[in-house]
Amino acid sequence: MNFWEKITGSDMTKEMKAFEARAKKLPAEYQTAWEKINANLWPHSDFTGRNLMPILDGVLGLLEEAAADGQNVQEVLGDDIKGFCLALAGIDGAKSYRDKWREQLNNNIAKKLGK
Amino acid sequence: MLENLTEMLKGVLEGCVLEIISRQETYGYEITRRLNALGFTDVVEGTVYTILIRLEKNKLVEITKKPSDMGPPRKFFAINDAGREELRKFWEKWEFVSSKMNELKERKQ
Repeated sequence: MNFWEKITGSDMTKEMKAFEARAKKLPAEYQTAWEKINANLWPHSDFTGRNLMPILDGVLGLLEEAAADGQNVQEVLGDDIKGFCLALAGIDGAKSYRDKWREQLNNNIAKKLGK
Repeated sequence: MLENLTEMLKGVLEGCVLEIISRQETYGYEITRRLNALGFTDVVEGTVYTILIRLEKNKLVEITKKPSDMGPPRKFFAINDAGREELRKFWEKWEFVSSKMNELKERKQ
């Protein structure tokens, strides 16, 4: 990642495009699951979303392998996609938006009290 | 046979997966099948996947990518020394818990 990419996030746009291209090759039910996973993971993104890139890459790999094995997506992910995403984000120590807001609030209060 | 075991299994599943890996280098799908065959029918590959990621993050396993007959290359997992030590501790803890559970069960009155 060079400076320009870091500032503009253009490397991520490229990566996301590559992910989408890979996802498009998956069977339809896998694509639906992929969208759900995306929706559930993004609230755990850091400011830029860069922390999610390796997670998304890994999950896409899992889906690709499972699809190639001919498994149905239900067998692979079960019913609890939300829990799956939470576990993934948890491993990474990713904070949610709420954590960040809480932190911000705490900081603001501490600042006010300090004066 | 038993449904909704997942909650109870959560704490020990990591040890189960590590034990399976310790026997022989293997991959996610195979591990899931092993657990299913063992009677843990609720366990899905996604769950095993999150455990594998955690093992990887904690550096308890070594990873090799190998081409597969179909589809993308597969990630194979092999245990390392840190993993073996972790597994030993896991079984120690398990012995403790299961002996205490049995004690509790037998001493009912």
